[in-house]
Amino acid sequence: MNGYNFAYLDEQTKRMIRRGLLKAVAIPGYQVPFGGREMPMPYGWGTGGMQLTASILGQDDVLKVIDQGADDTTNAVSIRAFFERVAGVDTTTATTEADVIQTRHRIPETPLAAGQILVFQVPIPEPLRFIEPSEEETRVMHALEEYGVMHVKLYEDIARHGHIATTYAYPVKVDGRYVADPSPIPKFDNPKLHMSDALMLFGAGREKRLYAIPPHTRVESLDFEDHPFEVQEWGESCALCGARDSFLDEVITDDQGGRMFVCSDTDYCQRRQEEVA
Amino acid sequence: MYVAVKGGEQAIANAHRWLADRRRGDRDRDELSVAQLADQMNLAVDRVMAEASLFDPELAALALKQASGDLVEAVFLLRAYRTTLPRLAETLPLDTGAIRLERRVSATYKDVPGGQVLGPTYDYTHRLLDFLQLADGEVPAPARTEQALEACPPILDQLDAEGLIERETDDGAAPYDITRDPPDFPVDRATRLQMLARGDEGYLLALSYSTQRGYGRNHPFAGEIRIGMLEVEIAVEECDAPVCIGEIAVSECQMINQFAGSRELAPQFTRGYGLAFGRNERKTMAMALVDRALRAEELGEPVASPAQQPEFVLAHADSVEAAGFVSHLKLPHYVDFQSELELLRRLRRAHAQPPTDDAEGGGQATDDGSKEPAPAAPQASRETEQVAP
Amino acid sequence: MRWQAFSDPVQDGQRHFRQVLAAMAEPGTLHDAAAPAVPEDAAIAPALWATLLSLCDLDTSLWIAPGLEAGGLADAVTFHTGCRLASAPDEADFALVTPGVLAGPGRDSTPAFAEGSDAYPDRGSTLLVVLDTLAEGGHWRLAGPGIPDSRDLDVGEATPLMTRLAANQVRFPRGLDAILGCGERLVAIPRSTRIEASVSATPEEDRACTSQ
Repeated sequence: MNGYNFAYLDEQTKRMIRRGLLKAVAIPGYQVPFGGREMPMPYGWGTGGMQLTASILGQDDVLKVIDQGADDTTNAVSIRAFFERVAGVDTTTATTEADVIQTRHRIPETPLAAGQILVFQVPIPEPLRFIEPSEEETRVMHALEEYGVMHVKLYEDIARHGHIATTYAYPVKVDGRYVADPSPIPKFDNPKLHMSDALMLFGAGREKRLYAIPPHTRVESLDFEDHPFEVQEWGESCALCGARDSFLDEVITDDQGGRMFVCSDTDYCQRRQEEVA
Repeated sequence: MYVAVKGGEQAIANAHRWLADRRRGDRDRDELSVAQLADQMNLAVDRVMAEASLFDPELAALALKQASGDLVEAVFLLRAYRTTLPRLAETLPLDTGAIRLERRVSATYKDVPGGQVLGPTYDYTHRLLDFLQLADGEVPAPARTEQALEACPPILDQLDAEGLIERETDDGAAPYDITRDPPDFPVDRATRLQMLARGDEGYLLALSYSTQRGYGRNHPFAGEIRIGMLEVEIAVEECDAPVCIGEIAVSECQMINQFAGSRELAPQFTRGYGLAFGRNERKTMAMALVDRALRAEELGEPVASPAQQPEFVLAHADSVEAAGFVSHLKLPHYVDFQSELELLRRLRRAHAQPPTDDAEGGGQATDDGSKEPAPAAPQASRETEQVAP
Repeated sequence: MRWQAFSDPVQDGQRHFRQVLAAMAEPGTLHDAAAPAVPEDAAIAPALWATLLSLCDLDTSLWIAPGLEAGGLADAVTFHTGCRLASAPDEADFALVTPGVLAGPGRDSTPAFAEGSDAYPDRGSTLLVVLDTLAEGGHWRLAGPGIPDSRDLDVGEATPLMTRLAANQVRFPRGLDAILGCGERLVAIPRSTRIEASVSATPEEDRACTSQ
């Protein structure tokens, strides 16, 4: 695009982010502060993920962008169009064909492969933020590996509800050291973080933090011996492809209480429908 | 039958076309020119420049036009443009004592060297709608005087000479640059001032107001407000003298505040400081009050009120960040919402079950940590939940 | 200039960065860096020259260990990237070293590098290590993030380097991250990697990389 560098960001900004990414990968789960730039899209709409994508993307990469697991949600469409315009890269909706996948709120159902990079858009990178709002304090807590408050919070849920009442942005411990927020993916997706074949990068633009989970890394969802971590289950299967193992969106179909469940991952659903046909 | 929605791209394109139409309005009327906006909406343009951290009246006016007058949107447009600009040079520190004044008032002295200059102010206008402006009334030219202003030394310098106010000295340290590096709390005063200078005016106004109402009171006096034009200079290697690269309009407010002192230090007034691009008097006054409030800890005052808490005040001051994050709630959250729905239904089913010998609420379980709360029984009831068309 | 820049700084810089990122994400894996040429009398590998070109700029500082500036490296790197040269190793974002530098002539003179703090562990140096040998196999066994089970690495005569990196484990999250270069080959060992000397050393063919 005239007047702008390849992938929008200038090279100095990209290098700053790239250096940050190397540190993030070297210290899995640690939030590296970076000089986040304004992007031509609002903060909170994926500017962190976009800055990371812009910094790693090359002209031969094939890019996939999803929001809520779907390639056709408006913000995914918008971000995909942005990179087509400023980087001229090929895009795809097929998980298996993508080199870089930028995502908001989901990890694809199709297992990721070695060499793929998943870039998460993160709104609040600090897993302790809603327990301790001060950045000064949470930084010390991470430094001292003082994560007791997080367990207390989860245990209070159990006391009140009989369950851990955290269903998304469920905290994880990365390689036995840093507690991290896996961005607000549903906890259904948490197990996919563990020993993944793909590199996972997390970018929070407004909060100016980035972090990473390398491939083949231990990622444990916090839990208790008597209340082990478990993912949600649906009694239903996808109304379109019949999948019973995927995360389902509930769709309201009429005003009489009618509803149906469909895969949130549109590519996965499509592929299954094609296999059946 | 449900069909997954496609065609987001077309919907977005159509939305933008409609927006452009709405912005243009009635085609029988003249289109607003950017020059007109820069000229006649100059205070809006100045606010956009201040909060976008970019002095360029023409582009700020363009942003204002493109945003249909939405100031927060215009700030965002200009800020997003700013971030793509290369940094060619760094200016020398501005000497606000050298402002070519168009307005200068002090609330602390009846008369001061150089005098008080009201300048083009809304102060003392009676806020009566001027219906003549509906009818394109003629506007007379301003009254002019041949006599130039006398020298106007900064008023606080007088107090400083007497030792009555804390002295500000430049320690020569290179300031942190919030446009390049993430704030690293706690931040120093130079960094705080940078963040306040681009902070949302409405937000700073409300916070500063709260200090006046007792939430962190600091006994302010408007020592001096000056508005005018100031030359911007850079150092060039080949030249001995600094080179002027242009002139900008700035507003500055110096508040004189509650005195402090200690066994070692005689009591002195303290300062709060505000500076902004353009004619932004209200902004600089609010900024000076908040700056002073944020110095509470440094000056040994109790930190009890919102305006005195640096991380709270500074992390939420930027309208581009705040507007973005609030507005992102419009984006789909189907997935997380679905997770919550599933949990809520499960908890409600468990709640409806006759209580077992375990506590239903939390009381018993928390009193006796060893007691495991009853696990909900979703397995049994799960199948009954669904209605599919 | 005898030190060649990237012919396409934007795309070549990106491609090289992705090699480094992949190396850092999967410690001990070999990556080929199609690197611009370095002078014949250069003491550093083309893979490391490419790394300097892709990561350094006005905002970074580089320390060059004595002996490695051969061929006019210091001038070349400041000319091509604009980076600052650090006078002391602990002030540098990147430090070009050999394993021998880490041993030092005596223990006490081993240079100190910035290893970050517990609160800001990212604020440390990244070592760029010039090696004569770099191959899979070998008697250093790596484990940790990015490594399924374990991975063996041959770094030649580099015991001081591996000892230094192995010590990261006790100081984590503070520590040193290393990018190892030999010819056009590149391997990374971040501080998260756990290092042991494995018992069975397998001699490898083609482990030395002759500079071209």
